[in-house]
Order: sequence, then structure tokens, then C-alpha cells
Amino acid sequence: MTRSSPYATVFDDSQLTGRPIVLPGSGPFGGDEEIDEPWVTGGKRYVDIDRDVCAHTEQFPTRRWWIAFGVALCLLGLLVFSLVSLAFVGVGIVGPNSPVGWGTFIVNFVFWIGIGHAGTLISAVLFLFRQKWRTGINRSAEAMTLFAVACAGIFPIIHLGRLWFAYWLVPIPNGRGPLWINFNSALSWDIFAISTYGLVSAVFWYVGLLPDLATVRDRATHPWRKKLYNVLSFGWNGSNRAWRHYESAYLILAAFATPLVFSVHTIVSFDFATSIVPGWHTTIFPPYFVIGAIFSGFAMVITLMTIMRNVFNLKNYITINHMEAMAKIIMLTGMLVGFAYATEFFMAWYSGSEWEGFIFRNRAFGPYGWSYFIMFSCNALIPQLFWFKRLRRNPAVLFIIAILVNVGMWFERYVIVITSLHRDFLPSSWGMFKMTFFDWSILLGSFGLFFTLFLLFVRFLPAIAMSEVKGIMDPKVAKTIVREN
Amino acid sequence: MGLPTPSQLMKPPQSTKGIIGQFGEPDEALSAARRVRDSQYTHFDFLTPFPVHGMDEAMGQQRSWVPMLTAVLAFFGILSAQAMMNYIMVWDWPMNFGGKPFAAWPSFVPITFELMVLFAAVGTAVIAIIAGKHDTVPQPPAMVVATGATIDKFVLWISATDPKFDVVKAKEFVEGLGAHGVRVVDMEEKGDASV
Repeated sequence: MTRSSPYATVFDDSQLTGRPIVLPGSGPFGGDEEIDEPWVTGGKRYVDIDRDVCAHTEQFPTRRWWIAFGVALCLLGLLVFSLVSLAFVGVGIVGPNSPVGWGTFIVNFVFWIGIGHAGTLISAVLFLFRQKWRTGINRSAEAMTLFAVACAGIFPIIHLGRLWFAYWLVPIPNGRGPLWINFNSALSWDIFAISTYGLVSAVFWYVGLLPDLATVRDRATHPWRKKLYNVLSFGWNGSNRAWRHYESAYLILAAFATPLVFSVHTIVSFDFATSIVPGWHTTIFPPYFVIGAIFSGFAMVITLMTIMRNVFNLKNYITINHMEAMAKIIMLTGMLVGFAYATEFFMAWYSGSEWEGFIFRNRAFGPYGWSYFIMFSCNALIPQLFWFKRLRRNPAVLFIIAILVNVGMWFERYVIVITSLHRDFLPSSWGMFKMTFFDWSILLGSFGLFFTLFLLFVRFLPAIAMSEVKGIMDPKVAKTIVREN
Repeated sequence: MGLPTPSQLMKPPQSTKGIIGQFGEPDEALSAARRVRDSQYTHFDFLTPFPVHGMDEAMGQQRSWVPMLTAVLAFFGILSAQAMMNYIMVWDWPMNFGGKPFAAWPSFVPITFELMVLFAAVGTAVIAIIAGKHDTVPQPPAMVVATGATIDKFVLWISATDPKFDVVKAKEFVEGLGAHGVRVVDMEEKGDASV
């Protein structure tokens, strides 16, 4: 076996520096050549990837998986209990009131949609930019998108109050007038945006899965398992005559998913921005929401990847360099979000609008000032720690900051929804908002749904895009010696 | 080959006899593909665990025609969105919302975009999966795929449906390419299940 590649001797994270490898004298004109550090460590071969990634789909789950799954299921049970209570008793059991008609449901909705955006960003935008590091994390990030959209989809429906009329949101011919939906309303755009986003993300994710499902099939020993995965992979055979259409389609899907992901959160922000409520009625909302979504989504990806690296022992495929790359994106988007907060304040003053000025003073120093403080410090200040390379490459620091960012981004939506509504133009209609037990239980329960789905995903499907990881490996290291006949 | 019939869509044409040869590295596979392309054989295929950069050109394949259908689908999405919203808002039940015109086209832009993406993306995925199975060459038998083509081998397959196919010459040719594990596969004789 020839192992002349500089990648052959990088075995784990401790040998990665986050800086290029310098090959003296191998540049085109005899100078130094700088190459990326390997995105797969441990001198892995192609077969090793399949074994490492498929292992947890092929054996009985570990104790740790069962514990995590049990906790997630309990939370899911809490969600089901809360939703049933909500449906039978009514929206009186949760916080929203007059004037704060959009309570935690909309906060959670925007939060979960935002989480989903990083998955699409990783799979589509980084694909278009040919970022090789996306291959290690894109599969689970896309799965995260799907499950986050599933969580998000619950909230507008339960916010309807009479949720059994949810089908009224869809423009289907009916005997109610005919009563059509109003396409001038941003809420009707939302229906189309979210459902398109969910469907296209699912298709994109599944198309990416096809070759890997075929790999699982060809590793399988039980005939039923073989059959099942053969059907799931649509009989994928790896023929280059299929690959050429596949790759073309994948590129197109990425090219459509990219503007889609921007459009979806833009439209979510239109729900706010097309109203006349001070603090919502601003043109900065679309870019502000999109950046915030990417920011919170990457934080969630870091959280999940930290868990996956450790629980499933995938540190050779999701290296510390992957984590550092995500930390850099968090730092950038964190500063952009901070810039948006500052711009909002500047515009409130510069516009000279009395209402706008009041709402922002009230946001930062009013009765909900504490939530503004949490938001600002978690989102704009704490990610600044990532200026230090040492902190970017410390898994524990990454994990803690990622969770703080998620907390901060939840509070961002809380600040936007609650503070703008609770004090409007007329002081006699001012009010306060209090979260009840059911607000909390539905929020916690949505995490239960998310983690239940995610744990099932890593149990039954290859959690790393094996065919894509193989494509970025050095064949000199990764090839298997073919048996001579 | 023309348009596939519905039964062909479910079960694409398969070849049962041919020759396989394995390669361990994408570069070896590429140079072998170039030589097969320049030879007399046309019914050949390369089965690879991941898309090999430059393989289309090395096998002498055209660019995929899937994007052209994507454009059609995208256009269809735009048309159907516009038709739906104009029918509902202008024709069927026009209503006055704050004095806005009935055909308030800027309001229709977001949904038009979403439906364009929906039709184009979902349709493209379905078409690409079908197209991959209905190329000019019949599909290799599943046994060839199971030799590691989805794991770590780059497998050359020359189908016996090729008009110039001759077992002895084809075997010599594949061996001459530097392939390992060269063998004749004949599913009808059930001669080769030893992989």
C-alpha cells in the first residue's frame, strides 16, 4: 500500500492545527504549495467510512442512545399532552392576550424556522461555493432542517385557536362563499413559503441519501434489510450514467434551495414588516431575520455535532476543523446581527418618529429590558470570544457558546414579538405578557419532538454523507487494494 | 431509445451477461474509461461509489438534459401560480382590500416564486432518478453492483448487448486496461455468484 500522501499521517484532532499544510518545493514553479488539512483524519479508507457510519444503523442502539431517546420521548409526551389540552380547553390556557396576541407560539415558530435555515445553508450554499468541509456535516444538518420545520409547522396551526379549521389556510375550492384566502396578506405567503421549504428540503435531503442507502443495502446481510434499503434507494447502482443526471439535479436543487432559504425567512419577516406596528414596520427585517436564522441554525448544528462526535465516535469525520469553520460563521453572523440591533436603534432616532423612538427605548429599558439584555449579550457580545483561535478550537467552549447563542436567538424573537405588542400607540391599551405552564411545556415539548426525530434518524439512516465524504478524500490513502485473481 | 413505457419505468431494461473489471482508484478508472470510450465498445458503464470528476467526459457522455426540463417545470410553476391567484383574486371573487387593485401583482410575487421553486425542484429530482435508469445502455445486473461499486470499487461493466461483444476478446481487452478481478458474468447460467 502506497501511503505517500501528507494526509496519511494525520490521525486525530490533536494533529490538526487549523492552518494549511505546507509542501516545500511542490508548487507549480518550484515554490511552496499550501494545501488544506485533511477533512477526514485517521488514515481512513473508503471501507472504513462505511463501517464507521453505518455501524450505528446495524447494531442494537447503545445505552446512551436509549437514555437520550427516553428523555426525548418524555418531552414529546409532554408536547402531546399540552396540545391535546390546548385543543380541548382553548387558547385561554396559554399566555397570549390582548394586546399581546402573538405570544410564544410565534416566538417558537420563528425560532424553529430559523434553526432549519443553517441546514439548507450548509447543504446548498456551501455546495455552490464548493466548500469541502460541508460533506462531513451536511446530512445531519439537513435532517435538522427537516425536523426543525416539522416543529415550526405546529405553531401557526395551534395559534389559530380552532385548529380543526387549519385547512381554511389553503386555497381549495369550497362551499363557504366561496371564501378564498387573501393573497395580499403576508400570512398567506407564509403558508406557501413554509410548505415549499419543507417539501424541497425533504427532497434535497432524500436525493442526497440515495447513494448512501444503496451502500447500506450492499453492506446488509439480512435479505429483508437488503430489500428494504433497495426500495428506499430506488435501486441505486452507482452507474456513471445515473451519476451524471444525479449530479446535475443535485446542483439544480442546490441552486433553487439557496434563494428559497433566503425567501422563506424574508417572508417570515414580512409577517411582521407588512404590519404598522412600531418596531416591526421596518425595511431591515428581511436581511436581519435571514442573518439571525443562519446564526441560530449554525449554533444548533454545533450543538448537535458536538453530541454526534462524542456519542457516535465520529471525530474522524467531523473534525475540530469543521467545528472551527462553523465557529467562524457564527462570529461573522453574530456581528451582523449585532449590527442590525444597532441599526434599528439608529433608525429609531434618525427617523424622528415618536413611536419608533419610544418602542426602542421601551425595548431596552422598559419592563422587558432583561430579555433585551439577554438577547444582546448572547448574540452580539459572547460570540466575540471566537476571535481567539484557541477558543474556536475548544469543543467545550464551542458547545457552551452555541447553547448561549440559541438562548439568545430565542429571546431575540421574544423581544421582537412581545415588546412591540405590549405597548402600542394608545397607553390605555397597554398590557403585559406572562408565560403560563403550557407556554413552557409546549416549548420544551417541541424540543422533545425535535430530538426524538433526530435520534431516530441517526439510528436508521447514515448520518454522514458517505458518498460525498469519499469524494473529498485522498485516494492514495483511502483506496482498497483490489484482490488479484 | 425513445420514451419509456410505464412498465419500463418501473423495471428498466437489464442486461444479464457481460464482463466486469475492478479498479481501486478514481484516476485509474478515468484512464480506463477513456480507453473504453475510444474502443469499439459502446454498451459499457462505470459503477463508482462517488461521482468521479471528469468521468462524463472520459466516458464520452453528453451533458445531462435534466436542466432543460427543469426550466420547463419552473415556467409551469410560474404559470400555475399566476393562474391560480389571478383566477381567485380577479376573476372568481374580486374583493376590495384597502383600495388595492384586484390584480395587485406585487403581492403575487412571493407565491409565484415559491411555486416555481416547488415545481422545479421536486420535478427535477423525480426526473433525474428516472433518467439515470434509462440511459442508452441496459442496466447492469444487481450482482455487479454488489461487488463493491457502492463501497470502494470502481467497476467497469461491458454488457453483452454490445453489438461488437465477444467474450474472449472483451475479457482480454479489460485485462489489458489493468483491471483487477476481471470475470465474465452470466446471470442466466447462474455460473457466477462467487463474489
